[in-house]
Order: sequence, then structure tokens, then C-alpha cells
Amino acid sequence: MNVPSDLRYSSDHEWVRDVGDGVVRIGITDYAQDALGDVVYVELPAVGASVECGAVFGEVESTKSVSELFAPVAGEVVAVNDELDGAPERVNEDPYGEGWICEIRVVADGDLMDAGAYTALIEG
Amino acid sequence: MQTSPLDGVHRDLGARMVPFGGWEMPVSYPSGTLAEHAACRTATALFDVSHLGSLGLSGPGAFDLLQATFTNDLRRIGPGRAQYTHLLDEADASVVDDVIVWWSAGEGDHADFVVLPNAANDAEVVRALPGCVDLRPDRALLAVQGPSARQVLATVSPEAAAVGRFAVATVAWSGSDLQVAGTGYTGEDGVEVSVPTDMASELWAALVAAGAEPAGLGARDTLRLEAGLPLHGHELGPGITPLDAGLGWVVGWDKEAFRGRAALAARRDAGAGRRLRGLVVEGRRPPREGQTVLRAGEPVATLTSGNFSPTLGHGIGLALLPADVVDGEVLGLDQRGAEVPATVVPLPFVRR
Repeated sequence: MNVPSDLRYSSDHEWVRDVGDGVVRIGITDYAQDALGDVVYVELPAVGASVECGAVFGEVESTKSVSELFAPVAGEVVAVNDELDGAPERVNEDPYGEGWICEIRVVADGDLMDAGAYTALIEG
Repeated sequence: MQTSPLDGVHRDLGARMVPFGGWEMPVSYPSGTLAEHAACRTATALFDVSHLGSLGLSGPGAFDLLQATFTNDLRRIGPGRAQYTHLLDEADASVVDDVIVWWSAGEGDHADFVVLPNAANDAEVVRALPGCVDLRPDRALLAVQGPSARQVLATVSPEAAAVGRFAVATVAWSGSDLQVAGTGYTGEDGVEVSVPTDMASELWAALVAAGAEPAGLGARDTLRLEAGLPLHGHELGPGITPLDAGLGWVVGWDKEAFRGRAALAARRDAGAGRRLRGLVVEGRRPPREGQTVLRAGEPVATLTSGNFSPTLGHGIGLALLPADVVDGEVLGLDQRGAEVPATVVPLPFVRR
């Protein structure tokens, strides 16, 4: 499984990338997309919505299951990846790139891991 | 947990394995459910369905026992043909299992049948067929399905490829006998092949080399759903009769007796209360089993199956709806708190 070393991770299998200006980009990990199987629908949060740490802010549905998205940080949603409406398979094809979910202006950080700790979690 | 004779083959291919009806079977291969689904709709897919039961019944009394046990009438077919039929609960005519019967050969004292139950209901069907022989330990069962399934199969066995729709034949292959039936569960043309356990890997490899794409239970489910085919435990099961499921044609009313006939006749005479129908939603969000179907805001049914339709590009689902619901009627579907319009459509969703 691909676990980029420059990202931080939540125990709910989301990645968090610092994009500067107090904003982070969020997506699901390679491990998560592989476990879900072919993604056919992503429910995105609304731009402007406030999210609490650990709260459900969207969902990812595959042909075999539904998985809720839990906010890895608290803050305000400032951008969402609208491309996923027509091409949810990007979550499978490029989970750390074109398959990103949303961007949040951080108010409070969650309990996040580095790549080493996350690798230990999924290999545990 | 039981495993298929092809278990090692699936693991070597990198399949994701899941428990299903007491068996550990592939849900998908690395190509993924959508690609496997597309292979079956446009080319050839290869499924391992060894988890299905195979109960042999032969000789004097076999024909009469099957006639007295299942709803359909074997007099509609003959040796060398297959028939879809139901086992009912004696008391309330619920569908205990839906099976395929292969009338392999012969009549009277020489008749040979194979009954193929769902994996999870195998024991129940065994109890209904005293004297049957469990053939499953000695064979694997492969389904070769898709618009080019016969071309692919013909390069491996021209005789097997020539077995017509709902026909059953025994063909020689590589020193063994294959039993081939023109049946399937995908809405596509194709066959199902019973192969001796020790030849299963060789046949699998030959079919893959000929161009068949391995496909798992995930694709099998989206394919059967698009084809509007019921799955036991969802559209069939406790409290659901063949008539509710829109499968009145599996009932041989000309037979004087079969298990559950009196209860089913009472249900028939009382008039249809509900009927299995298709629902479509506009977006990609998959309808899911258990979601509530609303009519003018009131709950009228629970979705029995639902998913994203890869062929149509939007969500589809099945539900047992009130009998007065008409095609084209717009109902509501409660998708986690949001009421989404869902239009009633005739089945199948995808016609081939």
C-alpha cells in the first residue's frame, strides 16, 4: 500500500496535506480505497460548512459498501472536488492526487499520525 | 468456512475473498467489480460458482419426488433440459429456495437429475429430497457468461459451446466428462459447467487463456440486479411467495400436488397484495437494501436490493411494492434522511 511520507493520517483512513495559509486538503488513503473497491458515488460536504473533529462530513459509496467520512480536523470547508460527481473512480485511481475530497480551513487539529504510525496501523 | 477447489487460483490472481453462504469466495479481482461487470456485458466473464449446491437424484421415483417437491412442472421439459423452480414452505408458501434442476438424461428408471440450490439453503433442500447424493465435493462449477462467451468456449470445447439456452449435455473434455447447461445469472448468454474437481484449474486456465475475464461475486450481484433477477434472502425468502416476486410462471398449477400448493392457492385466490418492481433514481448514489420506499410521504415498502447500475450509470433497486403501483409512478426513496424521487420501471433494467 502506498503511504506518502509527507502526509498526516487519521485512524479513519483519511490523509491530510498542508496546502498553506492554514488550509488542509483531505482525501481517503490508498488502503481505504482498496478496501472499499470501485467507488461509484461521493457525497461531498457543502462549501462554507463548519465541521467538528470526528464528525461525519460526507460519504464514499462503492459497489459493495457505504463508508462515512469523518473530519480529521475541525474548521470550515473552503473547497470541494466537484470533479468527483462525474468521475468518482478518481478516488480509486489517484487517491492522493485527483481523488482528493475537500479542503478545510483549520480551526483545531485532530489526533493525526505520521506515515510510519499509519503504516503500522494498517499492517497491524 | 468451506473453500472452492479453485481457491488457490483465486488467491494467486489477487482476488479479494469474502464469506458467502458458508463459503469463502472471490468478491472481486484486482481489475475491480466495474471492469468485471463490463467484461460480462461486452465480452466474456468467468465466475467460480462452486459454492452452489449440486444434489444428484436418479432412477425410479426421482421424477415423482421432484414433481411433488418443487413448484414447476417437469412435464414442460424433458431429458437434456434445465428448469428454474421453487421449493416452498408448506404452511405459508414462502420461497424456501429457488433452484435450477438439470434433467441430465433418461426417463423413468433411467432418469438422472441434478438440483442446484443456493449455498446457504443447501441443507434445507437436502432435507426435502431424501435419497439425494451430494455431488459438490467431486466437482467445481464455472459460469461462462457474456455476448462472446460461446466463441471463447468454442476454442476450449466446441461441444460445450454448442449447448443451447436451457439445454443440458455431457461433453468429453481432456479425458473427463463436463456437464454443461445453458443457464446463468447475469442476463447474458452463456453456460454453466460442472467439471471434476481435479480438472477445475485446467479448465479455468484454458478459459482465461481463451479470453474470459475472471469476475467475482460483486459483479455477479450488479449483473443479476440489472437483469432484474431475484436473489434469495433479498427478493425471495420468508413471507415472500413466487407470486409476490412476479414469478407465477414457475408454478405448475396443472400438478395436483406440490409442497406448499394449498397455501399458495389461498394466497393466489386472496389476490396479489404486492409485487416485485424496479425503481430507478436519477443520480449515481446507490439505493441500498433496507432503505424505505415512500408513496405520498408514507412508507409502503423496504428496498430488497439496490446498487449503482454500471450499464445505465445511475442507481437502481428492487422492492415489493403495493399491487396498484403502476410503471412510471414516481415514489420516494429515503436515502439516509433525504427523500429522493424514484420512478417505477418494468424489469429487467437492462434488456439484452
